[in-house]
Amino acid sequence: MSSKPSSLFIIWVLIERDLRTLVKSPWILINRTVFFLIQLFVFAFLITKLASSLGFNYFAFYSVGAVVSTITSIAFIIGEDLFEEEEMGLLDYLLSLPFGHTLFVIGRALGGAVRGLIYVTPMMILVAYLDGYFSVVGVAGSLLVIFVLATGISGLSITLAMLIRNANRFDIMIALAELATVRVSAAIYPLVYMPKVLQPLATYSPVTSASDIVRAIFLPGYASEPYETVVLVLFVLIFFGLGSAFLFRKLEGGKFE
Amino acid sequence: MAMIQFKDVAKSFKDVYAVKGVTCDIEDQEIFGLLGPNGAGKTTLIMTMATVYNPTRGEVVVDGHSASAEPDKVKSLIGISFQDPKYDRILSAREILQWHGKVTGVEKGVREKRIDDVLTKFGLAGEAKKRTWMLSGGTKKKIENAKVFVQRPKIAVFDEPTAYLDVPSRLMVWDMIDELRDGGTTVVLATNMMDEADRMSDRVGIMSRGEMVQVGEPARLKGTLKGRDVIEMKLEAPFPELVGEVKHVEEVKEAHFEGDLLKIALSNGRELLPHMINLVTAKGGKVQSVNLKEPSLEDVFLHYTGTTLT
Ligand SMILES: Nc1ncnc2c1ncn2[C@@H]1O[C@H](COP(=O)(O)OP(=O)(O)OP(=O)(O)O)[C@@H](O)[C@H]1O
Ligand SMILES: [Mg+2]
Repeated sequence: MSSKPSSLFIIWVLIERDLRTLVKSPWILINRTVFFLIQLFVFAFLITKLASSLGFNYFAFYSVGAVVSTITSIAFIIGEDLFEEEEMGLLDYLLSLPFGHTLFVIGRALGGAVRGLIYVTPMMILVAYLDGYFSVVGVAGSLLVIFVLATGISGLSITLAMLIRNANRFDIMIALAELATVRVSAAIYPLVYMPKVLQPLATYSPVTSASDIVRAIFLPGYASEPYETVVLVLFVLIFFGLGSAFLFRKLEGGKFE
Repeated sequence: MAMIQFKDVAKSFKDVYAVKGVTCDIEDQEIFGLLGPNGAGKTTLIMTMATVYNPTRGEVVVDGHSASAEPDKVKSLIGISFQDPKYDRILSAREILQWHGKVTGVEKGVREKRIDDVLTKFGLAGEAKKRTWMLSGGTKKKIENAKVFVQRPKIAVFDEPTAYLDVPSRLMVWDMIDELRDGGTTVVLATNMMDEADRMSDRVGIMSRGEMVQVGEPARLKGTLKGRDVIEMKLEAPFPELVGEVKHVEEVKEAHFEGDLLKIALSNGRELLPHMINLVTAKGGKVQSVNLKEPSLEDVFLHYTGTTLT
């Protein structure tokens, strides 16, 4: 017979599973890393030269945003995992295990976020070094901020996975959500250069918030508004709530209904 | 009180009822065989107990806890070996078992020992590190079963545990299930293999089209098929006058000759066998050989699931 494990232990075990599957698929890591490096050293370098006449260090701006964008798109993967788990029937197994649905969503969202953090930590250190503002406290603080963001993005991604049943539609929705969160934000270009209609949206994007907060930590001359922290925290809470609510709803009705 | 109580449990998918009001108790530490043709609703019934499906109607009570009201409590008592193996194909057998043991609260030292033990028993020690998607169908099924043997839950559910398995592995799984029960576990065993059900189960429940049509000990169920025993006596020569004599015995339903073979359909064939031989001999019949056919669990199954009886 076995004893009942604590909630914290369950969350850890769920995270551990997501880490184990990550370790077993290293090519995803390689793929994203190469993409990141190319963006940084080819794209950002070029644009920085073009934009240097504006008296604006685009490279510093972009490099932080690139890390934030990368962790955002990695955090979206957890929803794809969950969707696949449902398709393969693995979700039945996971839901027969001795923990509640809320704990399951929390564990998975954190799992997605921890995975993202592991991916981008070397990138963050590299960026801090390239920008010339490396400090342990700075890096740690920045990692904390993007971890919070990644948790929320994972929650959003899980919510979509719970909401959409058709595989093609799900792929499209995830791609759109990724596009919307990364592109309609101040992650890789300043808000002022964005189309007017998108600016209000981008202003309150959690990705904008996270990028601005990290820049404020790292780069001189950047500041972050207090409301941005609020946006970030609200985003996380809302999608934790929605993710577990939709998981509940799905189960209450029984699967495939 | 029964360990598992199904109280008028029904489950529909859209407008199709997979389970239509099952009421049935499963006792503590019994091995309960769940039988029924493909699509009868066995797996669906199990899933309502495991809280994976919420019943459309009725409730399941497990060790005094309602599966809908206290799902976490119920889930902590149950371990399931699914019909289709369910685990991460990218992980190795050892990783899968480690993770399963951990999440179900099996302490580390015990866990590792049980994993080694079960991997050795299944002859999988050499394959324990391979990604499981590349293993054979039978091996995948063994790993699915192994999850429950590592967990040793209060209630173990096996959904077709020996499908795809070779003969030695089937025997091994049966032994391990027996051992599990001897250790205090209640076992629900869904199967389409009648020999397995007969050999393993204290009681069986037969499902047909979403309903539980019969529950009881295999021997008792066979006994319900009265008049379905057959005694075949091979005589030296046909002896038609004997038919009338034999039919005077109350338990005999029917008798006739097929060549020199006297076929007698009756109830209580086993007890009446000596009497019938004496009777035939006393009337001058020379009996050369005798064969008694009793209903098998398969006959019981076919009878209660409405499939034709041969
Ligand atoms: N998730 C589902 N969605 C829709 N219908 C389902 C689902 N699961 C089962 N069914 C239907 O419910 C009925 C019972 O299926 P179930 O899997 O419980 O049968 P079973 O007795 O386990 O059969 P088998 O011996 O083939 O394993 C079938 O008609 C099946 O098509
Ligand atoms: Mg089944």
